[in-house]
Amino acid sequence: MTAPVIEVEGLRRTYRVSTGAVRRRTLEVEAVRGISFSVGEGELFGLLGPNGAGKTTTIKMLITLLVPTSGTARVLGFDVVRQSREVRKRIGYVFGGDRGLYDRLSGLDNLRYFAELYGVPPREQKRRIFELLDLVGLNGREGERVEGYSRGMRQRLHVARGLLHDPPVVFLDEPTIGVDPVGARELRATMAALVSAGKTVLLTTHYMFEADALCNRIAVIAKGQIVAEGSPSALKAMVTDGVVVELEAYDPPPGGADALRRVPGVARVTVEERDQAQLFVVQAAAGFEGTPELIAALGDARLTRVATREPTLEDAYVALVEGASG
Amino acid sequence: MTSAPAMTGARATLRVCLVGGLISYRALFNWISPALYIPTMLLGPVFQILFFVYLGRFVQLRDDSFFVVGNAVQISGMSGVYAGVMAIANERQFQTLSALLASPANRPALFIGRALPVIANGLIVSAWGFGVSALLLHFRPAASSLAPLALVVLVSVVSCTAWGLTLGSLGMRFRDVFMIANLAYYLMWVFCGVNLPESALPTAMVWIGRALPMTHGIQAAREIAAGGSLGGAAGLIGVELGIAAAYLVAALLLFRLFELEGKRRATLEQA
Ligand SMILES: Nc1ncnc2c1ncn2[C@@H]1O[C@H](COP(=O)(O)OP(=O)(O)OP(=O)(O)O)[C@@H](O)[C@H]1O
Ligand SMILES: [Mg+2]
Repeated sequence: MTAPVIEVEGLRRTYRVSTGAVRRRTLEVEAVRGISFSVGEGELFGLLGPNGAGKTTTIKMLITLLVPTSGTARVLGFDVVRQSREVRKRIGYVFGGDRGLYDRLSGLDNLRYFAELYGVPPREQKRRIFELLDLVGLNGREGERVEGYSRGMRQRLHVARGLLHDPPVVFLDEPTIGVDPVGARELRATMAALVSAGKTVLLTTHYMFEADALCNRIAVIAKGQIVAEGSPSALKAMVTDGVVVELEAYDPPPGGADALRRVPGVARVTVEERDQAQLFVVQAAAGFEGTPELIAALGDARLTRVATREPTLEDAYVALVEGASG
Repeated sequence: MTSAPAMTGARATLRVCLVGGLISYRALFNWISPALYIPTMLLGPVFQILFFVYLGRFVQLRDDSFFVVGNAVQISGMSGVYAGVMAIANERQFQTLSALLASPANRPALFIGRALPVIANGLIVSAWGFGVSALLLHFRPAASSLAPLALVVLVSVVSCTAWGLTLGSLGMRFRDVFMIANLAYYLMWVFCGVNLPESALPTAMVWIGRALPMTHGIQAAREIAAGGSLGGAAGLIGVELGIAAAYLVAALLLFRLFELEGKRRATLEQA
């Protein structure tokens, strides 16, 4: 096996923040607390985790915008602190959100500017820029000033900008945020195409189906620490190797979830509020036959739906993240 | 989608400087639209020149030429001081600074490139000031002194822009640098001998003025407008160039320092 493209060892980052208007105190926020992982060539690696888990902080360290408090990270063998320029030449990144573009310039000029900053040869620029405009579906709108772009159009422009110099390693931090369903689907196809072209991609997203569909491997990060790592199917298996039973109930008895947990074969129960109803998601062992017992456990509740399905990545994610906070 | 390797060294650096500089000028320069450019860059300076020339006539201390030259050189500095600040402070405000810093582009080339259109603009503004003075105030330097005068203006604009970039680099670390730019601009009015001869200032102020851009340039321009030769003003021009170089070096060092510090303290994105 070749050396990993992204190698992260014991990476930490704390932020100092000051609070209080009158008596200012400084606090240390531990955003990333010693994480390690590696991503091989041609892999699409997902970093999943709740808001504030430290995903963006990790990516910022990898793209040389933030110096780690301790630990090391290398991209293509180059240290992100000591050889940051070498790293920058070889990576592209896309951040979610509508900021970070020059509003007064057209989309085209934004791309031309970054093409210069990344040293894209002038003879290549035009072809490359129009290829990318086509790819992200901004063809025909490139002459307009970015200040008039919608949020999703800006996000598309971000994607084009990140890929301008055809980097071998790409960091995508919520790249599909704000993009309409068809556009997001096209972007996912683009990500898949990047990987089949041999590029290495690190992706964060809050859309579990997106991660499930795209990632070869996923690390779940919560409160700055990796709580699980593996392929999507391994993660699902880690949480349950069986089935999921969903019960939607009106007026369930108090302690309904606990009653469900006592049913033999049940591994884990989570509850989601749905308007006036509650959705109990029961993860159970393979070959589970206890659905009648589950229904009985909820007593007089009015059940509007009972369904058995295969576990999804979202089930695994919720269990892992709740496990980490419990 | 494979592409040729990125441009190498010198070529990429030159393109960042020239092509990149021009694009970023449009992106970052607040006065790019005619509605703002005409009042700030063209009309305001004319009023400034007229005001001081008529004031000069009223108090009868110096001839018109003293005030025309002082102000027509000085107005070229406005775009330098403010654009230097905009070159960085606006990146912060538009939240594009991290995108810029994540790129591998050569930093000195980036900033010198941003300065070039600003310098060209300063030349235009100054030429406009001299032109209007010729029309309205009958300012008539000898034809032979026009080229040396242009050179002196160029050197002065360069040093003002370098000073602006130094202030701009402070914008990597401190917010509200536009306030600093305002102060810096008025500071030049007082200390650089725009409307006052050195002899009218206390010694301490004279020394401060000598460390600022433009002071020596204005003196050189006055000598040349009065019929002096370029050779005679060479000393002053040399000092002005030295000041320009010193501020440019300071700007680049400060930028480097604050870039590193920003990555340690995570302050780059706070607008
Ligand atoms: N510049 C900063 N100064 C202080 N604290 C910060 C800064 N940036 C991030 N943090 C803190 O670090 C923690 C991790 O933030 P980070 O942006 O990495 O989370 P995330 O996993 O990307 O979350 P999200 O899913 O919401 O994007 C949070 O507690 C956040 O408040
Ligand atoms: Mg984030």
